[in-house]
Amino acid sequence: MIPLSRRQLLKAGLAGGLAATLTGCSLLPRKTGTLPDQYTGAIGLPDGGFGVGAIDRHGHLLWQSPMASRGHSGCNRPGNQEVVFFERRPGRSFYVINAGTGARKHHIRAEAGEHFVGHGVFSPDGRWLYATGSRYEEGEGIVTVYDAENGYRRTNTFDLNGIGPHQLTLHADGDTLVIGLGGILTHPDYDRIKLNLPSMEPALILMNRKNGEIVGRFRPAHHHQSARHVDVSAGGKIYVAYQYQGPLHEMPPLLARVENGQLREYRFDDDTQAGLANYIASVIAHPENDLVAAASPVGGTAIVFEGASGKLVSKAGIPDCAGIQALAGGDFLISSGRGKLVRLGRDNRPLELASLPVYWDHHLV
Amino acid sequence: MKRLSQAVFLSMTALVLNVQAAAPDNASAQAGERAREIWHQQIEGGYQTLSEKAGEFAEHSRHWCADPATGSRSDVEQAWQQAFMAWQAVRFVDFGPIETDNRAWQLQFWPDPKNLIARKARYLLSADQAPTTDTIAGAGVAVQGFPMAEYLLFDEPFNRGDQALPAERSCQMLTAVASHIAANSEQQLSDWRAFEKHYIASEQYQDASVRAGMNALEILEERRLAQPMGLRGTGKRSAYVADAWRSGKSLATVEATVRGLKTHYLPGLELLLENSGQPGLADRIRGQFNEVLENFPALDTPMAPLLADDREFSRLQGLWVDVSQLTTLVNDQAAVAVGVVRGFNSSDGD
Repeated sequence: MIPLSRRQLLKAGLAGGLAATLTGCSLLPRKTGTLPDQYTGAIGLPDGGFGVGAIDRHGHLLWQSPMASRGHSGCNRPGNQEVVFFERRPGRSFYVINAGTGARKHHIRAEAGEHFVGHGVFSPDGRWLYATGSRYEEGEGIVTVYDAENGYRRTNTFDLNGIGPHQLTLHADGDTLVIGLGGILTHPDYDRIKLNLPSMEPALILMNRKNGEIVGRFRPAHHHQSARHVDVSAGGKIYVAYQYQGPLHEMPPLLARVENGQLREYRFDDDTQAGLANYIASVIAHPENDLVAAASPVGGTAIVFEGASGKLVSKAGIPDCAGIQALAGGDFLISSGRGKLVRLGRDNRPLELASLPVYWDHHLV
Repeated sequence: MKRLSQAVFLSMTALVLNVQAAAPDNASAQAGERAREIWHQQIEGGYQTLSEKAGEFAEHSRHWCADPATGSRSDVEQAWQQAFMAWQAVRFVDFGPIETDNRAWQLQFWPDPKNLIARKARYLLSADQAPTTDTIAGAGVAVQGFPMAEYLLFDEPFNRGDQALPAERSCQMLTAVASHIAANSEQQLSDWRAFEKHYIASEQYQDASVRAGMNALEILEERRLAQPMGLRGTGKRSAYVADAWRSGKSLATVEATVRGLKTHYLPGLELLLENSGQPGLADRIRGQFNEVLENFPALDTPMAPLLADDREFSRLQGLWVDVSQLTTLVNDQAAVAVGVVRGFNSSDGD
């Protein structure tokens, strides 16, 4: 598929702007984690440009910072007013931005023969930035390491012994990187053609962030379950979300967590599985409870389920939903490519909190 | 970069979204199934033609290369064109078996901004071993389809050189590529037939089918016309950005795609529109298809001269406006009427 045209973006933007309602008397909920009073995400602009934008709890735009091409996700630097955003795969660079003002502090380009894939994560002390990437001629997945205290100098590269890493996050133990390895070979010269579907080897990988040693590799039940997005609960449960590469009418599990040394897969009822359209764009385990949220922009569906029992507790139809944030108090905030922010929690009563004239691109941080 | 409005759009009123997409009622479920039956049948017809024409192209290539003195190059070129146009007519189908092994990409690797077609051709033609069907099968999508055959048949610098067809090595490559195209086309037809029960039984394929036509129109308007016309990006006109520029058939492919959409896509969409109480819109779309097609055969001409001359360029603009209006009718109005949307994130793939 190709991205929306500028014409469509403009049209959608105008329609979105006119449809927005103004009440202005309430606040968005606090997030959990770093910078709880601010939401930052890659955005598409009504004029067809791209950037990073941050809003406060009033829904006010705090700042926006331009990007040369479409962004994907980013991460807040612990103990520091910096947020890092990555270009969409195949990303040639990442941007380091002052989280308070939006001023660009660094623009770091990928090394020759490498590209980023849209995600990164910091060490707990905020010094080291880990970013997934690919050596595209060889088709080798890597984790690149940057020193934030030295102008984001590249200091190390860890091999994943696999193809197509996507999201990575840090385990609650502070030492283990959790990495979704999609298993799909692509090359910048070939658009986004998937070059190895019959021989894919997707995996959930655990890596020691200090020495790059791979300490765990879990394979989904089917080789077409491309492991893309990951999260870890406060208690250390590791979740992974798939994008299934087989036909639409096959509806295999799309979510799993590590239990007893293997992947326990969650499959919901057929309606829910159909709503997820074999494609999950985000998975978030709530740090305050056992709930897990997942969103599918393709199916326009967001769900919340219990991690231990696998029971589905909430489901909402939200067109183009992709980003998820855990909210203080136990609920989730879902963002959509149509500028919506929707609260979803255990009570299964989705609540639209805001509608902004901006296209939230995938992940909010 | 345009600054966003600072206005607050918080709407904390308890606006509960529809928690689940409402299950379709019986009548619309039946209409959906009927639409999928129509689509399946129409598209099968398109794949049938592709399979036949691709088989003929392979046969003509073999025949000519086996004995260039008695065979005719123009027969091969003609057969290539007919098979390629048969592909244009079903190129919009981007779901189902065509996704297997990147079959759509195998049939037509495009766009090709780095000219991989020429690079790969030169590489294979200078290799130690003559290219066989196995070589082609293992050589990647840029080698396996119509654009590679087009390069061998129509590329001007190549055909001025000493490897020009029907040189033996080039002929071996042409017949291997043509036979790969024919095998894929035949396989696609057989897989599409086997896919029927899943396609008709699964509601998800209704959205996929509607979206397929929307995507095709979007690609047609933006990438196959607006970009070469210089209406996007750098603003520079360039025939090389269009597909099939080597054979001068860029605009003929536009006609074939539009004709294919009218034959294989529109009937199913019309049924859904009628079921949604929008028969008028269905009529307007059919009328707009005809408007686009009225540009042909006058515009069945290479694109480059039209880009080079402002007066000629206005004919191209006329076509582009007609295609844009068709795209607007289908992608904005019809899509909304039948409840299909394409999103910023949903069309991203990450």
